[in-house]
Amino acid sequence: MNAIIEATIYGVFLMLLGLMWQERKLIWAISIIPACLSGYFFITSAAGTHEHEITARVFFILTQLLLATTIERKYASIVTKVLFIALLVGNIYEIKIHNNVPELLFNNMLRIEPSSLWFNLLMTGAAFIYIMLMNKDIQKVGNYVAEYFSLIFFILCGLYLLSSYNNLLMMFIGIEILSIPQYILAGSDKHNLKSSEASLKYFLMGAFSTGILLMGIALLYGAAHTFNIMEMVGMLHSNALDPLAITGILFIIIAFSFKVSAAPMHMWTPDVYDGAPTVFTAFMATVGKSAAFFAFIRLFHFSFYDLSEHWILIIACITCATLFIGNITAVFQQSIKRMLAYSSIAQAGFMLFALLAYRPMGMQSIIFYATAYSIATIGMFAVLVKVKDYTYDGFNGLAKKEPLLAFVATIFLFSLAGIPLTGGFMAKYFVLLGVMQHGDMLWLVLFALLMAAISVFYYFRVIMAMYFKQGSPEMNSQVTLYDKVMLLVTCLVVLLLGIVPQFFMLPG
Amino acid sequence: MDFYDILFWILSVMAVGCALGVVLSRNPIHSVIFLILTFFAISGHYLIMNAQFLAIVNIIVYAGAIMVLFLYILMLMNLNADAEPQKGLLVQIAGILSGGTLFLVLLAATKSAHNEEINKVSTNVGLITNLGKLLFTKYVLPFEISSVLFLTAMIGAIVIGKKEPQLKNGEEHIA
Amino acid sequence: MELLILFRNQRLILHLHFKTNTVNQFLTISFSSIAAAIHNWLALSIPNETLVKVIDLTITGVLLLGFLVILCFFLGYMERKVAGFMQARYGPNRVGPYGSLQIVADTVKLLFKEGLTPKASDKFLFHLAPVIIVVASLLVMAPIAFASNFQIWDISIGVLYMSSVSSIAVIGILMAGYSSYNKYSLLGAMRSGAQIVSYELSVGLSLIAIVILSGSLQLSHIVESQRDGWWIYKGHLPIIISFVIFLIASTAEINRAPFDLAEAEQELTAGFHTEYSGMKFAMFLLAEYINLFVVSAIAATIFFGGWMPFHLGHWEAFNHIMNFIPGFIWFFGKTFFIIFIIMQFRWTFPRLRVDQLLTLEWKYLLPISMVNTILVTVMAIMGWHF
Repeated sequence: MNAIIEATIYGVFLMLLGLMWQERKLIWAISIIPACLSGYFFITSAAGTHEHEITARVFFILTQLLLATTIERKYASIVTKVLFIALLVGNIYEIKIHNNVPELLFNNMLRIEPSSLWFNLLMTGAAFIYIMLMNKDIQKVGNYVAEYFSLIFFILCGLYLLSSYNNLLMMFIGIEILSIPQYILAGSDKHNLKSSEASLKYFLMGAFSTGILLMGIALLYGAAHTFNIMEMVGMLHSNALDPLAITGILFIIIAFSFKVSAAPMHMWTPDVYDGAPTVFTAFMATVGKSAAFFAFIRLFHFSFYDLSEHWILIIACITCATLFIGNITAVFQQSIKRMLAYSSIAQAGFMLFALLAYRPMGMQSIIFYATAYSIATIGMFAVLVKVKDYTYDGFNGLAKKEPLLAFVATIFLFSLAGIPLTGGFMAKYFVLLGVMQHGDMLWLVLFALLMAAISVFYYFRVIMAMYFKQGSPEMNSQVTLYDKVMLLVTCLVVLLLGIVPQFFMLPG
Repeated sequence: MDFYDILFWILSVMAVGCALGVVLSRNPIHSVIFLILTFFAISGHYLIMNAQFLAIVNIIVYAGAIMVLFLYILMLMNLNADAEPQKGLLVQIAGILSGGTLFLVLLAATKSAHNEEINKVSTNVGLITNLGKLLFTKYVLPFEISSVLFLTAMIGAIVIGKKEPQLKNGEEHIA
Repeated sequence: MELLILFRNQRLILHLHFKTNTVNQFLTISFSSIAAAIHNWLALSIPNETLVKVIDLTITGVLLLGFLVILCFFLGYMERKVAGFMQARYGPNRVGPYGSLQIVADTVKLLFKEGLTPKASDKFLFHLAPVIIVVASLLVMAPIAFASNFQIWDISIGVLYMSSVSSIAVIGILMAGYSSYNKYSLLGAMRSGAQIVSYELSVGLSLIAIVILSGSLQLSHIVESQRDGWWIYKGHLPIIISFVIFLIASTAEINRAPFDLAEAEQELTAGFHTEYSGMKFAMFLLAEYINLFVVSAIAATIFFGGWMPFHLGHWEAFNHIMNFIPGFIWFFGKTFFIIFIIMQFRWTFPRLRVDQLLTLEWKYLLPISMVNTILVTVMAIMGWHF
């Protein structure tokens, strides 16, 4: 809960920073009001009540916040880094004070569990790495730097809601808070027509899928008479399931498949990920997608677990189709950015395995997979934004020009392909292990292995281009020492995920 | 037949008919007008269930604000009947098939669903007092959190809609 | 016998069980007893309950329409006379005594004029538009309290109802502008749309001020809460601010000068109703006057206590004397006072430009009314009002 509040406040703060930088004098003038009120309540609190003291403090903090928003806007990125560290610390603190018992908040609206806190922490970590790597490039997208960062904080707020919701209403709001900033970020490069197209396409399709999600929720409510995902278990019985509930579950599957870009609903993904500014694609394809996945699995493993006979085959088919379409289409791509978009569809196929797995294993493996995938993809995108030409030929001879860049890119691609000693291998191992426990899903596991083999082909094409082809790739920007250090750190995290996965697994 | 039954049937026919009109009419402006009428019919249904607040908010938000903006945009873009792209036969058949299947599924689901009789006369859940109490007690978190959603939308409007600000002389170009 | 209820929890105008004990015992004239008598008579003579309801509703509708037609005659005459007065001229003075039949002559002219329909127009929408505008303004009449217990529909969210239904008129205006197939009409409709949608916010916020103080959205409750004084002086400064904002914003919302950009003669011929003639044009005129009346009635009800006589705290003797003046006289007196003010606006201020119009709303009225809402809330919590 603290994390949600924290993320929101930081987002609002950055928003004000973005909006108010021209109105500095006005803000100074306005901040006199809370300052005076604070003083007034402090004085009265000496004689009076406890409430006055609290009020005084609130006004005092308000004054400080107002004054802080008058910071020069060009410091927005530094402020963001500081805020992100604070957010990480807040997340760690929340895990520390959590006593391993699910915590119900706000009339059962939120149910905070160890798994949700762990997911929060890892995703915040991934987002932190993202901010550290891409900071400079985000500033190049447009003039509204503070607003972009603010939107990223709001996405995180949505993520925190999605990791701990206990009510379908909260899930819906979480998904909206997660999606709307993404629609905006996709269209933030206003000089680029493709970016606008991506934004519009994403928005229209997203709105449509939200409609389907709402309809599913409504039908489910009709059958279960509750929005609470825990109470729903008692209301829905597998052997006498209300047809309304089946339809509702089907609709929710469709809507979530859209959000996580699973196969029949994946059409928007390549265009949106290709058209959006590369820096924001990196965030949307990783943290945004993982949050939707976590919500998906949370809902299905909490509420509909006992009904799995009704939906498991649908999910299996979706998984199969996603793996097939994602991997096969990725082979034919000429642009690495577009290839990564298709690869994100393929990876979604693997993440869907967590949904098919048995209960505790599913949650474990999605957290691990999401982390490994997110960090590797963020790293790969960080390499990508440095290079000017996104085609395979644009990467020709990168190893000669920027050996370090080529090296880390290789590691990230290894991880995405699932080569041992990297995070991707362990992640794939865990999700497939979860499904192996189901005896009857063996065919799917074998199919996934085949597809993983195919994926090696297109990931290695990039490595081939970098190491074995001649050319001198044009760079977008200078690779500074800071970049190199950050990329190495990211690379290290990817390797650590593969070598000591138990550090990243849910404790206990 | 009760007074309410008569009202119910009139409103239902109106709602379904107008909803069909939205889809079938060639002129986008007519579609919007039909949609407004649909909203009115639905508001009427809310009134029958004594949910006055919902009915009025439905009118304020949809008929009064959103649809007006819709009309506005349609007029500005000057969309006419002939501006509508003609879809291929295959696409039409596929659309009819999938839509029909969806309709069948929903029909089957609602038909075999277990219906409960609601006492329309004594229900008070839709009155503003009860709604307000619920919003500020049981559902206070979704209610407050949705403000984040609106903030996001606001920032989005600024980021997408506003011109890139002109920087003053001597000021460093951030981008 | 069962209660006659169309929509539960509200009293209908012809109500069987009106609470005699809460009816102002001190008000000498109230229509509610007549209404109840008519209903009783109907219920006794006609066995079918549904039929009674239908007849009740029909009577109400016919009476309302009749009232509105007379009202529009009067307002038309009043507008000309006020204009004449403001510009130091006579106004109509030839047809009938003091020109009082002028408006009848105008009506006859409009009735017999040929109704033209442009060839390229969207026929269906063209004919529908004036109807929608009139219906929208008629609907707003429903919760207005003319006298004690004399209300068509005392809906529990009266204030919200009025602000929502009045916003429908803009759809009619947009339809009229679009379907006329005339660029002036379209421009006028566009302007009007932008204007109404934005000024609605200020109207709503200024009404909210009273809702906060009186703690109810129901108009009868709001009137009742002013038994010991009207809000305009019980709520002092913040309420005066919101009254002024309401007056400005609602003048804009009903498209009257100085906010009549939608039909600015010099620029747009006649705006959205350029192509209308005859009776359809008369309907626009009718709607304009009904809107004028409705807006003033709302202001009178919300800020000046509606039918509530002029009361001062607990000065029983004074209040008692005031009670001898019937409620409907108070109501109409206040309403016409506000109408008079709005009519004076027309001849006092020059028309605004579009950008000025939007600036006025978004940069001045809206922030002011937001801050004012906070002020009123603080006032209501602290009990700083009388």
